[in-house]
Amino acid sequence: MANNVHNFKVVLVGEGCVGKSSLILQYIENTFNSSHITTVQASFLTKKLNIDGQRVSLAIWDTAGQEQFHALGPLYYRNSNGAVLVYDITNESSFPKVKVWVKELRKMLGNDVCLVIVGNKTDLEKERHVNLQEAEQYSEAVGAIHFQTSAKLNEGVEDVFLALTNKMLEQAAKQRSRSETLERQGSQRRNVIIVDDEETAAPPTSSKQCCSHS
Amino acid sequence: MAQTNFSKIDEYGFQRSKNFNYEVYGDFMSQYYRVLARRTKRWEELKDSEKHKKNNTLKRFVRKGIPISHRTNAWMIISGAQLLREESMLTYNDFKQQINNQTIIDMIQIDLPRTFPDNIYFSNESLLPSQLFNILAAFAHQNNDVSYCQGLNYIAGLLLLATKDEEATFWLLKVLVEKILPQYYIKTMSGLLTDLDVLDELIKIQDPVVYKHIKDIGMPWAVATTKWFVCIYAEVLPTETVLRIWDCLFYEGSKILFRVAITLIKLHREQILEARDLGELVVSFKGMAESPNVINCHKFITDIFKIPGSFSKKTLDKLRSKHQQQ
Repeated sequence: MANNVHNFKVVLVGEGCVGKSSLILQYIENTFNSSHITTVQASFLTKKLNIDGQRVSLAIWDTAGQEQFHALGPLYYRNSNGAVLVYDITNESSFPKVKVWVKELRKMLGNDVCLVIVGNKTDLEKERHVNLQEAEQYSEAVGAIHFQTSAKLNEGVEDVFLALTNKMLEQAAKQRSRSETLERQGSQRRNVIIVDDEETAAPPTSSKQCCSHS
Repeated sequence: MAQTNFSKIDEYGFQRSKNFNYEVYGDFMSQYYRVLARRTKRWEELKDSEKHKKNNTLKRFVRKGIPISHRTNAWMIISGAQLLREESMLTYNDFKQQINNQTIIDMIQIDLPRTFPDNIYFSNESLLPSQLFNILAAFAHQNNDVSYCQGLNYIAGLLLLATKDEEATFWLLKVLVEKILPQYYIKTMSGLLTDLDVLDELIKIQDPVVYKHIKDIGMPWAVATTKWFVCIYAEVLPTETVLRIWDCLFYEGSKILFRVAITLIKLHREQILEARDLGELVVSFKGMAESPNVINCHKFITDIFKIPGSFSKKTLDKLRSKHQQQ
């Protein structure tokens, strides 16, 4: 168990120009580029973490924000363990977009997906157009953690991914215990059914294989 | 060292990347200058009758590369943009007068500083960002199905850098989106989803080993090739290579995009097969832009007509209708 690596897939979504790519760039490469280019094609980056001795590998997907590209969305968020939903605190319309994403992700991925909602660009606090309290209340209501960040000043960025990772670890533990329970019940049931069978069916193997060459 | 011979900015105003391979580029350019000189001379000699209508001589000339000085005119003719302009009830200026929708204006304005920020011609003081705005906004207002879609900023931006002609860029963008390319840019991106499936089938036939490897790793084609289609290789491959691809695209249509895709994948099959996971696979696709095979645009264009073998419009039409999105 100690050698196992938890592989988590994380997807970043949100309206165009809220700072998705910049958050990732700051988190992975510790840089900020003010002349960032429009993301058309989703990009993929990995980050390895060690949390209380648990090794975690994050596969982070940065997606295109413009509406048209939502047609490709399912390709990217399929099988995601977590999602970072980003809005821009200076852009009022970017927050309702987060709500749309919450609905879509919950519908497609169910309640197991861990959500973090991030208000980015706190360096532009003076131009704030999204009410903080409202954003926090909404996040709580949908079971998401709320954070504020400045990708530019590298404030709060690390915390977002740390909190999300912790949540995904909890979720994974929950799922494990759930499937163990199921497995126990399953084997009892099987014992009943296969009374006169000579060959027993192979026991279900655990669905997640946690190995990777790092 | 070849390094000293080349500026850090290329002839289209782009900053060369940090790991730009000056040596490979130097080797290539030492031959390509001669090619360019010869092509320019041959184009000068081309009769007007041959230059102004599609014909086999012109097709051959286009595949060998249109010299910069002839590009705008040649593109206008072979793409059908010229005809579109002549037949249009409205002039480009009329289209510009229609710009009034604030939502569209805002959407485009967000992307202006995010289009080629490292290009000297797109720096703030330059004329190009405002021209790019006019083109994209005029286009968006006259096409409701597309309006503005990201990716078009790179296409129009590079058209503008290549032609230095705002009006020509508008008509070339219009003919590309409305006549030459499938429906990549509409709300559902159905044309893109279809072409990704077509590419899937083509690679399965062309290189089953690479195909299986990519499937085993589980990479959806959209992950590595969305930009190939949506940006028609702009912001993907070296500028000169992109413009040579566009020469052919304007003449021969969107099947050229598949010729390029297949060639890229087959030329880099070793790197693809070496990738052990999704991350490495994505990196191997990104690395294609810097490979000598691609920097040598003259050879690369020969390759796209050789490596995939015969590939007719009819075959493509059949595949596209088979994979049509519901």
